[in-house]
Amino acid sequence: MEREKPIPIGTTAVMERTGETMEEMYVNMGPQHPSTHGVLRLLLKLDGEYIIDCVPFIGYLHRCHEKIGENRNYTQIIPYTDRLDYLASMSMNFGYVLTVERLMGVKVPERAEHMRVILAELQRIASHLLWLATFGLDLGNFTIFIYCFREREMVLDLFEAVSGQRLNYSFYRIGGMPMDFPDTWIDDCKAFLDWFKQRLPEYDALMGDNVLFQKRVQGVGAIDPKLAVDYGLSGPMIRSCGIRWDLRRNDPYSVYDRFEFEIPVFDTCDVWARYMVRRQEMAESARIVEQALAQLPAGDIMAKMPKNIRPPAGQVYCRTESPRGELGFYIISNGSVKPYRYKVRSPAYVNLSALPEMLKGCLVADVVAVLGSVDIVLGEIDR
Amino acid sequence: MTPEELLEQVKQKFGDTVTESEVKGVEVRLTIKPEASWEACRFLRDAGFEYLNCLSGADWMTHLEVVYDLSSLRHPNKVHLRVPVDRANPVVRSVTDIWRAANWHERECYDLFGVRFDGHPDHRRILLPEDWVGFPLRKDYADERLVPYTDYGMEEKLPRPEAAPGAPKAAGPPKAAAPLPPTEP
Repeated sequence: MEREKPIPIGTTAVMERTGETMEEMYVNMGPQHPSTHGVLRLLLKLDGEYIIDCVPFIGYLHRCHEKIGENRNYTQIIPYTDRLDYLASMSMNFGYVLTVERLMGVKVPERAEHMRVILAELQRIASHLLWLATFGLDLGNFTIFIYCFREREMVLDLFEAVSGQRLNYSFYRIGGMPMDFPDTWIDDCKAFLDWFKQRLPEYDALMGDNVLFQKRVQGVGAIDPKLAVDYGLSGPMIRSCGIRWDLRRNDPYSVYDRFEFEIPVFDTCDVWARYMVRRQEMAESARIVEQALAQLPAGDIMAKMPKNIRPPAGQVYCRTESPRGELGFYIISNGSVKPYRYKVRSPAYVNLSALPEMLKGCLVADVVAVLGSVDIVLGEIDR
Repeated sequence: MTPEELLEQVKQKFGDTVTESEVKGVEVRLTIKPEASWEACRFLRDAGFEYLNCLSGADWMTHLEVVYDLSSLRHPNKVHLRVPVDRANPVVRSVTDIWRAANWHERECYDLFGVRFDGHPDHRRILLPEDWVGFPLRKDYADERLVPYTDYGMEEKLPRPEAAPGAPKAAGPPKAAAPLPPTEP
């Protein structure tokens, strides 16, 4: 492959303004734009209504997460991981504590493992509900927004009953869980699942069966499956390219290998496929929660842990399936109370890097649909 | 291909440039000199590791390190590849032409560690503003706004080794102050 000369460091040369045709135009979308769900700036290069190129600018929410992590001890980092992906805090906690446990070689009690799976899957439902709600809002369907928020609110009520928090839970601990479910929580959870499963056809009626919606998303923002692997896409983004890849099945962690669930796969590679994958994942998550509640064993919820957590010197890269894809934590320990190096591989960061590829050839009006389908959370992209 | 076989192939092909190697479960851990890193990545990609999970850096004070985590969508093996680079002049050849996923990862590594990636198509800072001075994740980076770690007295509460018999006893916790006399209503 012919390699181009690298741009000198410190220059801002991004797109050469050729000025060859009169039609080329540069449009800034963001940083303050309602469809960017945070602070994201997209520089679009347009030819009339068509997008030729796109450069995302990120970092507006950067807060030195990794540097802060190197200056805190292992337990103190847990609340910071909440703020990474503030729409799926349970999943972030899960990934982090799993990494430290793998570094220390701790065996977590069975009941705690099941509790973790239950909460993480409920979190996946809540996160996908919020995605569906805001995605509908971006495309002009306000009704689905209200419907999805109603159910999401119920999940948040369940989380509040468990942890006392509605958004940033900090509920997982290294070695187990801090407290058990409250008395009637399991019945409440079952009642919610019964209610929720009957609501899924309603979402189909509002979104999936809507011809306007179908016309808006089918064939839009497609990416070639080979490119998707090359870009390292993960989660629903890669499953919408017809690749059956889910870390809960392909690299099982916790007790995921004990549950029966399908991995929804669609092979049209477009925004429609991403909608269908997430819509069906909600039903599969509900199935996992039901099985985990039925199998929930009695017993301890916390392993015997030292007061000061000092993992042995070593390094580990541990990946989990968050609602957005592969969430990886890379920790180097030198045997002290603080990590020597602490790195987060956030799924939305990698998924967003393929956005220019998906947008090429789209219309300006499709940017909102394609960006919405990536399901970004700027908190974890900018870290 | 088992991890052991893979390691054997890498060792045969790259010989002396592989300075450390280890097989841990399904993971092959390698340390390779920077001059052979691009060829090694190319070799591993062709050996089936088409998925770049993560590219990160680390500062070991004596040198910097670029770390590649590779896996495959078809078999469970993983590769953990470490490339030490010189701290004064950290340059390593970019792997964006092998995996496109490396593009933003390498920009982040440059942004936070200052490792330059030769041949990168868009070599700019990504998370920090372009006029930022210094590379924050290096261990010698100083910023007075960064709150340092305090253990809030946790270290002192740890059990101490028993004092030798006959040694003077350590002072106990300070006695609580005498309660205040009840005030007149």
